[in-house]
Amino acid sequence: MNHDMSASLLLVAPELTLTLAGLALLIWAAFFGDRHATGISIAAVAALVGAGALTSLAPAAGGNAFDGLARVDAFSTFAHVLIYFAAAVAIIIAPRFFRAHTPGGHGLMRAEYPILIVFAAVGMGMMVSATDLMTLYVGLEMNSLAAYVLASFIRTDTRSAEAGLKYFVLGALASGILLYGMSLLYGFSGTTNFAGIAAAMGADFSGGLVFGLVFVLAGLAFKISAVPFHMWTPDVYEGAPTPVTAFFASAPKVAAMALTVRVCIEAFGPTTLDWQQIIIFLALASTILGAVGAIGQRNIKRLLAYSSINNVGFALIGLAAGSEAGVAATMSYMAVYVVMTLGSFLCILQLRDAGGAYVEDIARMAGLGKARPWLVGAIALFMFSLAGIPPLFGFWPKFLVFDAAVRAGLLPLAIIGALSSVISAFYYLKVIKTMAFDEAPADAPQWTAEGNAVETGLIGFTATAISPLGYLAIAPLAYLSGNAALALFR
Amino acid sequence: MTDLSQYLPILIFLGIAVGLSALFVFLPMGVSRLTGTHNPDAAKLSEYECGFPAFEDSRSQFDVRFYLVAILFIIFDLEAAFLFPWAVSLQDIGWAGWTTMMVFLAELALGLVYAWKKGALDWE
Repeated sequence: MNHDMSASLLLVAPELTLTLAGLALLIWAAFFGDRHATGISIAAVAALVGAGALTSLAPAAGGNAFDGLARVDAFSTFAHVLIYFAAAVAIIIAPRFFRAHTPGGHGLMRAEYPILIVFAAVGMGMMVSATDLMTLYVGLEMNSLAAYVLASFIRTDTRSAEAGLKYFVLGALASGILLYGMSLLYGFSGTTNFAGIAAAMGADFSGGLVFGLVFVLAGLAFKISAVPFHMWTPDVYEGAPTPVTAFFASAPKVAAMALTVRVCIEAFGPTTLDWQQIIIFLALASTILGAVGAIGQRNIKRLLAYSSINNVGFALIGLAAGSEAGVAATMSYMAVYVVMTLGSFLCILQLRDAGGAYVEDIARMAGLGKARPWLVGAIALFMFSLAGIPPLFGFWPKFLVFDAAVRAGLLPLAIIGALSSVISAFYYLKVIKTMAFDEAPADAPQWTAEGNAVETGLIGFTATAISPLGYLAIAPLAYLSGNAALALFR
Repeated sequence: MTDLSQYLPILIFLGIAVGLSALFVFLPMGVSRLTGTHNPDAAKLSEYECGFPAFEDSRSQFDVRFYLVAILFIIFDLEAAFLFPWAVSLQDIGWAGWTTMMVFLAELALGLVYAWKKGALDWE
């Protein structure tokens, strides 16, 4: 018993570290307040880095923790590293934004921000290693509760408050749907364990289990913002403070996607043909609506929200294949997607006028190319990469998911996905055209060139990673994502 | 066809429950009329709803401090709800269960420290 317990605790060492760090930082914040926000942020990033290093303790063969409540394997480690990276970036980019963001705000970095990100990271860590409906739900809610607060973090800003409220109400609805599905799965299989559910589904896939599967997938689709459960995404992404939007678009997406993959493969494994239909529909609807919906957007954050819906659709194409190669492609996709998205949001954070106000309106960005050529170059790089145009690294994961889909006999899905990526290229190109070639309007903002070494460095890093130089990373990425997928199909 | 006679106990229970609750409602009414204490006024005739007037726009504003108190109450109410099953099953779950609950209580205590320090417990 004691040996089991200590072995389990060792397996979840990253989560333990983050929990203890989060609690310690909470007390630090309570006693010293926002004056120590910088120190707390640095400590939070250090905790995330430490937790990332601790993931290397995971045994190569994987290990079950707490009597099968959680499983630590190559798959969870892969997702952990991505999540901690995105969370750390979300903390690093925040202070400058909150200090500069004055409209109705306080111009102050609050000490709670890094702490909430750390707690969200704990929840996401639990999500990706969950092998039981209970762990799944607790992890999901830990992440969501922190996210609701983060969305409305500038509470004096009505848009931010609205984003938080919308996210909370719709998120609670989605949690309800998920819980209903979980209760059906439990009721008809008699267990909350993924392996047990899989065994029950393999024996007799009857009415209650079908509905349980459908409701669980609907709840998870909401969390990854796949169409038709995407409606909250543009509003929340637009209203939430930009560093929080960058966080939402990266870490929780990876966690929810990894969770969906694990549930589909491990819990619903024997009924692949049944969940495949749902995933195919989600993938098709997300790629098409994500591409078409973005065309009319005038706000760059809303545009990136549709872009993230579109990208989730592509990642789901890999899962729809239902094969080991497909899962590996999905995980590769999420890795590259996180880098591209964080890079895009980092660039948006540089778009400030002389008064220090952030510019989000795409039309007002006309003429930016003359004022900030390097920045527009970086944005163009990220947009081309998000569109999946070949010399850039964004092309590679798209190729991987299409390849997996074609090999699994889903040729029409791959073709429609490729066509929708053509549509999405239109709006990415439109943004670049407005910035680089259009004449500056009369009321164009006076762009400030004032930069920040850390953020510029991060832009440089992410831009290099998605540039053709990124192709050097294909071999390690294929190795890591292949191992991750293998861990699910063991 | 299911054997309906197995539902007899619940039928008896419902009968007694309806009878008793009707008695609780109508007996005081009858007694007050007979003893002459029946003396209605506007305040007595209004329905009681947690201190708020019942038929008003539900979007009326109230002090946000009530909300904080309610949230803190819910947290500690739930803590108590967790403690009862833990206490009765402590024999079976052993030291692991005891430690887990102590960790949970410590975390709650840290949360309380935070709320206290932030002034969530000060009414003014």
